[in-house]
Amino acid sequence: MDTLSNILFAPVYLPLLGAALILVCKSFFKTTIRRLAEYVGMLIGLIVPVILTLSLRSELGAGRALEAVAGSWAQEIGIIYRFDGLSLLMILLTAAVTIPAWIYSRKVGPAHSSFTALLLVQNAAIAAISMTADLFNLFVCLEVMGVVAYVLIAGSQKGSAVYASFSYLMLSSTAMVFFLLGTFGLYRLTGSLSYEAIAQSLAAGENQQFALICLILLVVPILLRVAVLPLSLWLVDAHSKAPHAVSALLSGVLLKIPLFALVRVFSLVPDSALFALPISYAGAITALVGVLMALAQSDAKKLLAYHSISQIGYVVTAWGLALQAGVHTQAGALLLSVSFFHAFSHALFKALLFLAVGTATDAGANRNVYTLRGASRSLKREGERLPITLLCYLVGALSIMAIPPFNGYFSKNLLTYAIKGGVHYPMLTMAGVGTVASFLKLSRIFLPAKEKEETLAARLRPRFPLTLHAGLLILALLCILTGLFAPETYAFIAGLLSAQPVQSYDAHFFFTSDTLAKTLSTALAGIALFLFILTKPGAWIFHQLGRYKARFSDLFFGFALALALLLLVARVL
Amino acid sequence: MKKLELIKIVITVLLCSLLVVPIILSNHSWPTHARNYLLANAQSDTGATNTVSAIYLGYRAMDTLGETLVLLVSVTGTMAILVKLGKEQTDEETTSFSLTPEKRPTNRLRTHLLETVASKLGPIVLLFGFYVMLYGHISPGGGFQGGVIVASAIVFLALGTEVKSKLTSTFVLSRIESLSFLLLILASISGVFFESGFFGNPIKSASSLSANFIILLNIIIGLKVGTSIAVMCIAMMGGSHDH
Repeated sequence: MDTLSNILFAPVYLPLLGAALILVCKSFFKTTIRRLAEYVGMLIGLIVPVILTLSLRSELGAGRALEAVAGSWAQEIGIIYRFDGLSLLMILLTAAVTIPAWIYSRKVGPAHSSFTALLLVQNAAIAAISMTADLFNLFVCLEVMGVVAYVLIAGSQKGSAVYASFSYLMLSSTAMVFFLLGTFGLYRLTGSLSYEAIAQSLAAGENQQFALICLILLVVPILLRVAVLPLSLWLVDAHSKAPHAVSALLSGVLLKIPLFALVRVFSLVPDSALFALPISYAGAITALVGVLMALAQSDAKKLLAYHSISQIGYVVTAWGLALQAGVHTQAGALLLSVSFFHAFSHALFKALLFLAVGTATDAGANRNVYTLRGASRSLKREGERLPITLLCYLVGALSIMAIPPFNGYFSKNLLTYAIKGGVHYPMLTMAGVGTVASFLKLSRIFLPAKEKEETLAARLRPRFPLTLHAGLLILALLCILTGLFAPETYAFIAGLLSAQPVQSYDAHFFFTSDTLAKTLSTALAGIALFLFILTKPGAWIFHQLGRYKARFSDLFFGFALALALLLLVARVL
Repeated sequence: MKKLELIKIVITVLLCSLLVVPIILSNHSWPTHARNYLLANAQSDTGATNTVSAIYLGYRAMDTLGETLVLLVSVTGTMAILVKLGKEQTDEETTSFSLTPEKRPTNRLRTHLLETVASKLGPIVLLFGFYVMLYGHISPGGGFQGGVIVASAIVFLALGTEVKSKLTSTFVLSRIESLSFLLLILASISGVFFESGFFGNPIKSASSLSANFIILLNIIIGLKVGTSIAVMCIAMMGGSHDH
């Protein structure tokens, strides 16, 4: 085995080594060494792999990839790992959210060594998902990622969080059984588990219907993790009840990784492109419905959770269209890059929003957007001298509302530009209007409270956790930087994802009078929608919407519905 | 409302079976490629007579690592919830099963019958567990199976013995657990430094025992599985109160 293959596996085994170190120190030593071990573990498990994978950048691009077999067995029997541009991007996205979220959690919790170890295990699983070219290995890694997520959600120790974790566990494990069945079906058909061998065997064109059924069984469980309608009912509880740092991770990272891993699974079956268009429609509907439900919420974190659904809808729309065009064509590569760009900016600003809003609602001890006011005053009472939380919230909110010069503006505009001309376009534009309106609604928690509270000086001032600010600031800075250097960021992503040289966009492209007029009109329409909610009929409509709550059986019903819909597509088309 | 729920469940099951049934009932001929390959090469490649071990600790050891991680994470999560429950609950229930209120960590489930049988069985089961673990490369068994048997032996000992031994203290067990996890990761990485790559056999040529790496992995996984399940069981019996 050469050095390159050893580096290739590093993002999988180094985090595990870090996690093992932390766990050993946890059971053998006292607090100081435990703490030290956490920092060393994070360094070994998160920072070093990122540097190592970045060093492989020169080997990638233009469709090139590195391949290795775990344990150096023969290709036909071993587990093949394939490191390409998409893998590198997924590892970078994970690190970009995990590190700030971990720093944030240092003082406000969940801050214990098992939490750090779990994060590292999750990172190893994500790196493995991003690289594996073996169907059964993908199943195992998805399971590891899922199990860590269930445990992290339950970590906030509230009864409702445990219940949310339990429903997610039940639904997701059921779905994974179907995934296993799909793997079994394809294995039976082709006698192989590695992507390449399956694709070769199926390319002959026999047994297409059977292969398509197997593909449905693989696609739906993965889309369940991505939370596309009608598979997104589990998300709201899971994301809103988890501890803030975990919420940031869940919607920043865990929604996107399975989606981009699915790109490779799609290439297994020759006729798979016929599912791509229906999935992109589902994405557009998800974007719209998600934002409407978000408008109806009164719980601040639930509102953000519905926004995760809505924004992932954007990503899935472009993703589906990319697969329809074929990821190796120029148009497909453009759409996939745009989709990843938006996924990346969403990861950054949604993580930032979850952390900032979480901090504010904790300080105000109230999560209801209708009654919580004067959050910045409560934060000041907690000892915050500069209104950093408010500023970071504003960065996140302006990003998600697609206001320049933050990253959301660039990725959203690029995305809508790339899909222009289809039915998706007006739907996503309407979703954009709703986003503006619901963030105006959420921003009211920072408005000054009506009644004068007790004077600030009377209270003693504890020190505000520095790590909390550091976590927020890193994310805010990343949002601003990827906004200011949007053309470069996009060129980096597209260069890794596309085999052909890509068209680059300079800053002028983003600031034509057209896009600016569109942004302005979206913002104005958003304000109008917000004012409509404040009127009596508007409030009544959204109150009715907000009363909907998914029952346990609904989760499974949605899953079965998705299976049946894709089966219908396979039969009819 | 209840009727609606029922209809929903029936529709769910029907829709799912639409996809599952064709897969289960398919009559495609079974693929033979991997089988032939394993028949020809498994023993010479890995040195294990038991081809199942050759697969799960040789060719697909990466998946086994994943399954170990699933176990590790779920035990961590379960322990977190159990410890929290232990803090909330008072000891009012702990005497409900016992004949006389005894001050022992595991006395909740004690009866004389149980105590006698469990204490006699414990050591034998422990021995059997290690046998299954150590001979996994030759006969059916291996780390996971042996580990679970070891765990049940530890539970027997915890139920049966009067004296609190080191073997049944969660403190010691969790130390062994974390150490064996570290060893597992180190063993899987060691190939990187001996030119056989991640999860490659680092001691291929170093000894005459051809299945050496598989035996090593079996022992480590067995210890890991055995201790982590034992810790969980003892915590469920209320034994983690003592520290």
